[in-house]
Amino acid sequence: MNNKIPAVTARGLTKYFGDFTAVNEIDFEVCRGEIFGFLGPNGSGKTTTIRMLLGLLQPSAGSISVLGLDAHGDAASIRPRVGYMSQRFSLYNDLTVIQNLKFYGAAYGLSEALLPERIQEALQMAGLEGREYAKTKDLSGGWRQRLALSAAILHRPEVLFLDEPTAGVDPISRRAFWDLLYRLVTTPANEETQGGVTVFVTTHYMDEAEHCHRLAFIQRGEIIAYGSPKDIKHQKMSGQVLEIAPSNAVAAVKVLREARDSGKLPFDEVELYGALVHVVAPGMEELQSRITTELRQASIHIEQMQIIEPSLEDVFIASMR
Amino acid sequence: MNLRHIWAVTRKEFHHILRERSTLILVLITPTALLLLMAYALTVDIQNVPIAVLDLDRSSLSRSFVQQITAGEDLQLYAQVNTLDEIEGLLMHGDIKAALILSPAFASDLLSLRGLPLQIIIDGTEPESGAFAVDHIAWRAEEFINTAISDQIQARGFSIESLQPIDLRIRTWFNPSLKPRNDLIPGLISMVLGMPALSVALTLAHEREHGTLEQLMATPIKRSELLVGKMLPYIIVGLVNVIVIPILAVLWFKIPFNGSFALFFVLSALFLFAILSMGIIVGVFMPTQAAALALSFLVIFFPGFFLTGIFFPIASMPEMMRMEALGLPGTHYAVITRGIFLPGVGLNILWPYAVMLVGLGFAFTGVAALFFKKKLG
Repeated sequence: MNNKIPAVTARGLTKYFGDFTAVNEIDFEVCRGEIFGFLGPNGSGKTTTIRMLLGLLQPSAGSISVLGLDAHGDAASIRPRVGYMSQRFSLYNDLTVIQNLKFYGAAYGLSEALLPERIQEALQMAGLEGREYAKTKDLSGGWRQRLALSAAILHRPEVLFLDEPTAGVDPISRRAFWDLLYRLVTTPANEETQGGVTVFVTTHYMDEAEHCHRLAFIQRGEIIAYGSPKDIKHQKMSGQVLEIAPSNAVAAVKVLREARDSGKLPFDEVELYGALVHVVAPGMEELQSRITTELRQASIHIEQMQIIEPSLEDVFIASMR
Repeated sequence: MNLRHIWAVTRKEFHHILRERSTLILVLITPTALLLLMAYALTVDIQNVPIAVLDLDRSSLSRSFVQQITAGEDLQLYAQVNTLDEIEGLLMHGDIKAALILSPAFASDLLSLRGLPLQIIIDGTEPESGAFAVDHIAWRAEEFINTAISDQIQARGFSIESLQPIDLRIRTWFNPSLKPRNDLIPGLISMVLGMPALSVALTLAHEREHGTLEQLMATPIKRSELLVGKMLPYIIVGLVNVIVIPILAVLWFKIPFNGSFALFFVLSALFLFAILSMGIIVGVFMPTQAAALALSFLVIFFPGFFLTGIFFPIASMPEMMRMEALGLPGTHYAVITRGIFLPGVGLNILWPYAVMLVGLGFAFTGVAALFFKKKLG
């Protein structure tokens, strides 16, 4: 097995639905053994892209190669080697945990001899030992997501496609889910591939994006940022981020935006973050005292102020402008 | 086709059927319940039709005539009335379905062999009962002439035969007792055995509605394997009904089963294949279960009821409908069930219908597979 071949390559990938351009000439490459995040707001083209990668949807233009094979023409050869967890909960609610696992195992052609062992591993991984005979609909959201994930990897896929796997799941379960993903990419997938699983995951949670090795930001069908979280922050944020904890955050945002709009202060962004204000601008060290003065004149007291590492959320908002 | 893939789908589908009580009821109990219900509701064994009699003659002959007319279980003497107005009132209230008026010259006309002067008034809003009353009064009147007054006729030197210029003898084949049920129930069987088509349409639409279809499409299971795997369990469950329903027909409804059961079983399997393929088409086209249910009734059950010749002869339909009827598996299967039950015919006669079922089955699955591919982009 040649690990030099990228897990997924998309070139000029385009999809029209009538007059609507869902995905517009995007290019990206997913390396072996990485968690590749595909980020974007709802309706930005994430699901359309993942469906094209899986050969479920024919691209209008462009090419996709998955494991070195053509995603559309060679779909039949690709399918046994990849796993997929669709956006909506993809298991059968009326069946038991074990019936679901047996079905997907058989669907991926696992032999009767291998199946019990794999199912045992899956149950262990999902933490569902002893609940084999529970109806799937009786499990809580987080358990079901983990069960769906373990069903998607029963056949030890080389690439795993996850479409918004944690949508609607509580934060603790989301964290547990990501821990599982990390274990997957660091454990060898099977005897042939020495590296772990490659994960292609779509999400709109910014905190999850930070967990990815590399990312693509997609907006209105176009990739607007691409690279590792660190690279993206570097490329996209020319300025630094100053986090201010003022006595009145809403009033502070108003004052600072007025200062920016009148040309008094050269800010790129002024955004409200709960009770905090994030100001983005180059040369922040110099600007700090002028910001203090500006706010003091408006009788806003600054409780705390510091230059912070920009979050991907800051970057995303900055890139979307 | 990979048998392991088909088996995976089939086993899963069996799990669904066994898990969901509603599905189990739908596929196992509904055909039986439907047959019982429809057989009783639709069988037109009219009995005890209430009639009124206005006897203007009041002779002993007219009284014995009335007695003879209402002696059986077919006609029931509701009232003896004295005026036409009373008849009108009874008809308006729906108390009687027909009225019989004997003229004042009833006995004298009859005895002088001038004829049988009878007037019958029927309720035109219920022509079935009215026509029934006319037939039965005529039949009993003839009987009356043959028995009650044959002595008088012969005494005058005439023979009964000479009074009946037409000797019409009706012989009904295959259904000698002329019970509508004997013909209706094999027809109904052809309809109720098609019920699993609804289940298969619903299960496909369910997969689409719940997003599991997309997940299935991403597995190595091929579309054709999925369709076959989905159809198999419902063919098997349908074949359980193919055994239960004829037993019900023979033991409960006393319908004669004169043909070969093995032939019936095999041809029923072909019918299930054809009708389930129709269900598959519905399931492939419809995005939700509710839509699939509605379309099933529109394209499978209503035409199955009205166009397959169970109730209305296909020969008397407009050409368009006749063409449509030919495309319905039920049309061919109704010929098969009726043929095997009553005359007990064999494959030498039924083979064209069997060929049609196989042809329709393959045509429908082909269409389903084609559109299944398109629907997913």
